[in-house]
Formats: sequence, structure tokens, C-alpha cells
Amino acid sequence: MPDCDAMRENMPLLLTESLDPARRELTHQHIEACPICVAEWSAYKETWQVLETLPEVDVPARVKQRFLAEVSPASVTTNVVPFRRRNVTRWLAQAAAVVIVSGGAFYAGHRVAPRTQLTPTAAQVTAIQQAMPANPYYSIAESRVLPAASISPQIEGRPDIQNVQFNDASPSSDQIGVSFDITSHVTVTGRPTDKSMVRLLRYVLENEDRESPSRSRAIDWVRATYSRVGNPDPEITEALANVLRNDQHQGVRIKAADTLQSMQSAMTDGTRDALVEALKNDPNPAVRIKAVEALAKLARSGAALDPEMVDTLRRKASQGDENVYVRVKAAEALSSIQPR
Amino acid sequence: MRPTIRISIAALALLSATQLFGASFGASTRVVREFPIDLAGSVWIDNPFGSIDVIGGDGNVVSVTAERVLTAPDNASMKEASDNVAISFEGDTKVRLMRTLLPPTRNVRWTASVNYTVHVPRSVNIKIGSKSADHIRVSHVNGSVTVNGFSATLILEGVNGASFVNMVNGRIIYDYTQKPVSKAVIQAVNADIDIYTPPTSNFDWIANTITGDILTTFPVRSGRFIGTIFHGAIGAGGPTINTETFMGRILLLSKGSNTSEAQSMRINPPDHQRVLSDVMLQPARKIQLPFVNGEFTFAASVADVTIGEVRGNARIETGAGEVELGAVFGQCNVTSMGGPLNLGDILGALFAHTGAGDIIVRAARMGGQVTTDGGLVRVLYAGGPMTLRSGGGDIIVRQASAPIDAETASGDITLTGDPAQKTLKVTARTLQGNIVLNVSPRFAADIDATILTSDPDVNEMHIDFNGISIRREQVGNRTRIRATGKINGGGERVELYAEEGDIHISAQNITPIRLANPKQ
Repeated sequence: MPDCDAMRENMPLLLTESLDPARRELTHQHIEACPICVAEWSAYKETWQVLETLPEVDVPARVKQRFLAEVSPASVTTNVVPFRRRNVTRWLAQAAAVVIVSGGAFYAGHRVAPRTQLTPTAAQVTAIQQAMPANPYYSIAESRVLPAASISPQIEGRPDIQNVQFNDASPSSDQIGVSFDITSHVTVTGRPTDKSMVRLLRYVLENEDRESPSRSRAIDWVRATYSRVGNPDPEITEALANVLRNDQHQGVRIKAADTLQSMQSAMTDGTRDALVEALKNDPNPAVRIKAVEALAKLARSGAALDPEMVDTLRRKASQGDENVYVRVKAAEALSSIQPR
Repeated sequence: MRPTIRISIAALALLSATQLFGASFGASTRVVREFPIDLAGSVWIDNPFGSIDVIGGDGNVVSVTAERVLTAPDNASMKEASDNVAISFEGDTKVRLMRTLLPPTRNVRWTASVNYTVHVPRSVNIKIGSKSADHIRVSHVNGSVTVNGFSATLILEGVNGASFVNMVNGRIIYDYTQKPVSKAVIQAVNADIDIYTPPTSNFDWIANTITGDILTTFPVRSGRFIGTIFHGAIGAGGPTINTETFMGRILLLSKGSNTSEAQSMRINPPDHQRVLSDVMLQPARKIQLPFVNGEFTFAASVADVTIGEVRGNARIETGAGEVELGAVFGQCNVTSMGGPLNLGDILGALFAHTGAGDIIVRAARMGGQVTTDGGLVRVLYAGGPMTLRSGGGDIIVRQASAPIDAETASGDITLTGDPAQKTLKVTARTLQGNIVLNVSPRFAADIDATILTSDPDVNEMHIDFNGISIRREQVGNRTRIRATGKINGGGERVELYAEEGDIHISAQNITPIRLANPKQ
């Protein structure tokens, strides 16, 4: 479609109602006939609507100036040199048009363009890497401030960048800032026993904002990985204990108790308390079964059980209205206990 | 001296030295005290570790001999033990308390026990607390006796006052030298209870055990079961002797009779017409069989059942326990009040229920019904229509080749349709959780999927097919998201309902499960 390119160039102007009637009609006709341009036009309109919802933030003067210098150095020169006040509304209209055109182009490109990587030359990468500080840690944090030199010039894939803000707090400094939220897919590799890996998994298990099903899958994976000899870690069992205490999802609590059973060697006092609490109070009999089985296994292993644990088992074994299987398991646990 | 003799002596010396290094040292000290006491007074003995002998007699003096036994691997540990273990005598003429004082946390390198022998006036009341003892013996006491222990052989001999016993492990022997005149409550978890009374005794007897048996050589009048609790009268009846042990056996013997003459009240209850549902009255059993050639019918109060293959119908009923069946060639009916069920290849119709626990089915070729009051339900292959229920827990079907009706009170439901099926009737409902339906891209159905959520930003509908319309509406303070429409031209009805969760109908290439044919 040779016309498409020309029509796409018209779209920002069509959006701002800056086209003359003839070109406007022509563009509309083309858009109605061309499925590719329909998508393009929809993207423009969506972008326009999104921009309407964003709060108006003034672009810092120096940023604007540098940006315009990049786009049209001549216009900057002519506009800045005479030292007379410019028409503010015209200025803003120009800036808005630039933002719309660039934002729309970015959005459209984001939607329809094939995945590309901004690949700098090897010399550029080497130069930037040399300038980067030698920090071995990648911090997974809610908010971070990074010097530009520490960021690789190679932008991989199409990370989702939102809530962009420009900062130019100090006119005397040549430093500027660009803040944004970025969603990117991160893969962390390492041994199960690496502390960073343990902490990361603990966060995944305990993060209350996450949905239970994600936690359910995480527990399955944690069980498969951390049940192996040498891998159980007290931080993981603590995280599972918190899931057992707090998760609303009964299926998740069942899995947490079941997984704890397979990590006896890393059990802490807090973990045992969580199991006792589950045995005493959990409304789901399957959770109580898993809890009592875990405690029975603990008792069989010869581990010292505190008096409250023994007392709970004793009461459960004698509790007439408790599920018989829970009572049997409690009695079996008691038969293995050597008081100390 | 010949070299061989010298070498032997050296080896012997070395061995002795080695043994000496690993040995523990023992030390014992004895304390003897006497205290006056009122005839209606009480003696309390609190001794966590060590035997206790209380003997009733004449006079108004409590005479105590306490022997403290310490073991430790070295002198430092021995000194620590000696400094930390004390015997305390407290109280006045109304209450005499003697107790062993131990530190709250002990060094595991040393152990301590105290053996008490206490002579008391026979009229006093006795209270004993213990954790672990070789034995606790109370004899010839007319006052009340209370024993609260964990593990010991408890012997009450000639105790005529009211008695209350609560133990966990060990054994309880109650030997009445005279006809019972006071009530007795004897409770245990794992201990066996043996009671010996004169043949002319008159008392009411209550006995309750889950896994053990209830045996007596007495003729029992008005014997009846209320649930698992047996009530009966011995002679003309009288004070109540209440015996209760969860995992132990209860034996009531008339003195002079033989244990082998004892009748089981569970098997031969005097006035009890057995009904089929009396599963809790069946003795506990453990079954392990490689195969059963024909039908298998089994009932037990508590049973672990493991059978490789049943070449006929299987009917199993348990009060509690684990059931594992490798293959059943006919119909399979398994009911448990509690415990996991692990069922393999079921060729006939399947009915499986547990009061609590997971149910795993490898293949239900004719379909059936699988329900748990709480626990996970996992079916690898459903060849016929299946109804799956969980009171709380996930439901997973790896391959459904026939209609599925799944419901859980709380948990995820994950169903995968047979890729060979063009359409399939599915009903899935979770009151808290997600539903994932995996089907092949050419799967055709009439979809009616509903999410009811208090957080519509979190819970979403994902449907990998075209032709579905999604509507949102506010219902009270929650949002209802409903997706309806036909996929691939429509077919059987797929009805999904999830509260506070996602629904995902996923189109993907599914690898079918291949089942081996069982040898018949």
C-alpha cells in the first residue's frame, strides 16, 4: 500500500484537526478501506484518549529545549536568541503537538512493529560498560535510582514503560532525571541454597498481594526443589508457616502443611507453632490431617516436642468430635514421644 | 611372653579404655524424711522422671524415701546435674507436697530421675504427676487417687476410694482387692487397661476404645453400644467404672478367671443387633495383599488397606485409615470417615468418599463419584461421567473423556479435556478459587462462565477462543463478570462459576494419556 505511509503521516494532524478538509476526507476514506490503517488509526485514537487522562505536567524548559534542538536545531536557534517573550500558547501548542506526534508514533510502533533490539555498536557497549560502576548486585526493589552510566544501552525486547516523569530539580546542575515504572520479565538463576534465591522465594510465598493460585504453584515448585536433601531452609519453612497461618485458600493451606512435612530438617519453633495452631484451629480437616501428620513425623524422628505441642496432641487424640483419622495420627505421634 | 599374648593384652586394654571413654557415670543419693499428716489430708507427688511407690498403712506420718539417680559422661556434667536437680518437700499437715525440681531447659548430656517410695496413712488422698516412669504403684489406699502421667506402667492395687487416671502411653492395671465401692475414671490414649475385680462385684461398666477391643470374663447385663461407647452392668450394678483408651485394649477380668475366657463385647455384644453401619465397632486391622482373586469386602474401625489388585468388585468401609488399591476389575466402593484414598485403575464404576483427606485416582474408566469433606481430589483419567466434590481443596482432572461435574468449597479446579473429544459437558464451581479448563483448539462448546468478585481488577476472565461476549455488572458490593457464547460453532454446555478467582479457558495442544490394559 504506497498510500499508507502518507496517510499515517496525516493521522496526527487528523487527530488534532489540523488537516485541510480535502486531505481530511481523503484520509478518512483511506482508513475505512485499509484494515492495516484502521488498526493504526485506532491506536492513535487510544493514545489520544490515554493522554487525556494523564495529569498535565510541564516539561522542564531545558529538557524541552534539548528535545527541540534534536528535532529542529534551527528553530531553537531562531526562537531563543532574540531574548523576547514568545507567545506562550503557541509554545505550548507546539510542545503538545510534538509530544502527541512522538507519543503516538511510539505507541503505534509499539503495537505494530516487529520486535527489534536497539543494538549499539560493540564499541559503544564497551565504552558504556567501562563507565558503569562495578556493582555485582541487581537489587529487586520497589524503587531504585540508577545512574545512566549503569544502564546498558541495549534495550532488550519491548519492556512496558509507564508513568514517565521528567525531573530537572536543579538548574545549576547538568543532571536530569527520567522516572518511570517498568514491567520486565526477570529470570534469577542460582542454587536453591543461595540466600538471594531463598529470600526471593520467601517473598513470593509471603506476598499477600499475590493471588493464592500463584502461591499454590509456588508451593508445588518449592516442595519439589526444597524437599531434596540439603536444600531445606528455615526461611522457606517460615514462609510456608505464614502461608499456613494466613492464606484464605484452603487448598493452599493443605499444600503448605503438606510441604512442611517434607522439610523436617529445617523446621523452626515458629514452624512448629504454625502446625500446632493449624491442628488446633483450622476448619478444614484435611489441613488438620496434614498438620498432625507433620507433627507425627517430627515425633517419630526423635525431635524434642515442647509441652504445648504434646498437650495439643493429647487433647486431639481424646477429642470425641474430631475426625477419627486425626485422632489416630495424634495418638500415633504420642506413642513415639519420649518425654524430656 | 609370647607376642600373640602381648598383642591380645594390648588390644584388651585399648578396648577397655575406649569403652571407658564412651561410658556414662552414675551417681545416686538418698533422702529420707518423715512428716506428720492429718488422716484426711492429701499427699501430692510431682516427679517428672522416675518411679513412684505409694503404700498405704496405719499411723499419721508420711514417710518418704527419695533416691536421686544422675548419669553424666564427665565430672563437669555430673556437677551441673547435681546442682540443678533438687527434691523439695513443702506443705503442712493438711497437704504434703513433694516434688522434683528440674531446670526449665536441661543439658542433654546428663539425665536425672528420682524414685520415690512413700508410706502414707491409708485414709489420705493421693495426687501424682509424672512424665516418664518405669512404674507408678499405689496400693492399699482408701482415699481418692488421682494420677496424671504420660508414660508408665500404672498399678493401682487395693485402692478403694474414688480414682481418676489420665495416661498417654504404657499400661494401666487396676487390681481391686475388694468389691468396687467408689467410682473410677480411667482414661488413656495408647495404653491398655486391665481391671481385676472379685467375682461377686456389682458395678456399672463403661468402656470406649476405637482401635482396641473390649473384653470381659463377666456376664454383662444390659450391654449396649452408643456409638463406640459400651455400657453394661456387672452383677446388680453400682458405682461406675469408666474405662476409655483410644488405641488400647480394655480387659475386665473376674478374679480367678482366665484371660483366654474373655469375650469380646465388640464381636459378641450381649443385647446388640449389629447393623451394617457399625463400622466403628469392628476391630482395627491392617491389610496388605498383593491381589484378591474375586470380590473383596472389608470393614474395620481403623484400617490401613493396601491391595495390589482386586479381580472383582471391591467394597471397603473404614472409620479411619489409609486405603491404597492398585487395580479393581469390577465396581469399587470405598468409604472412609477419615484418611487418604489412593486408587489405581478402576475398571468398573467408582464410588469413593472420605471424611477428610486427599483422594487420588489414576483411572476411573467408567467414571463415578469421588468426594472428600476436605482435601484434594486428583483424577488422572476419567473415562466415564464423574462427579467430584471437595469440602475444601483443589480438584484436578488430567484428562476427562466424559462429562465432569466438579465443585469445591475453596480451591482451584483444573480440568483438561480429552483432545479426542470434540465437545464435552463440564460443570465446575468453586466458592473461592480459580477454574482452569484446558481444551484443544478445535474444542466446541456453549460457554457460560461467571466470576463473582470483590476485586475485579485482580480476578479476570481469560478465554482463548473467539465468539465470547463478556459483560460486567455490579451485584451488591461485588462485580459479576459473565462470559457467554459459542466457541467453534457451539456444542455441549460448559458451565463455570468461580468466586474470588479467575476463569481461564485455555486452547492448547494436549498430549493424550495412554492407559495400559490391566491383565484380566
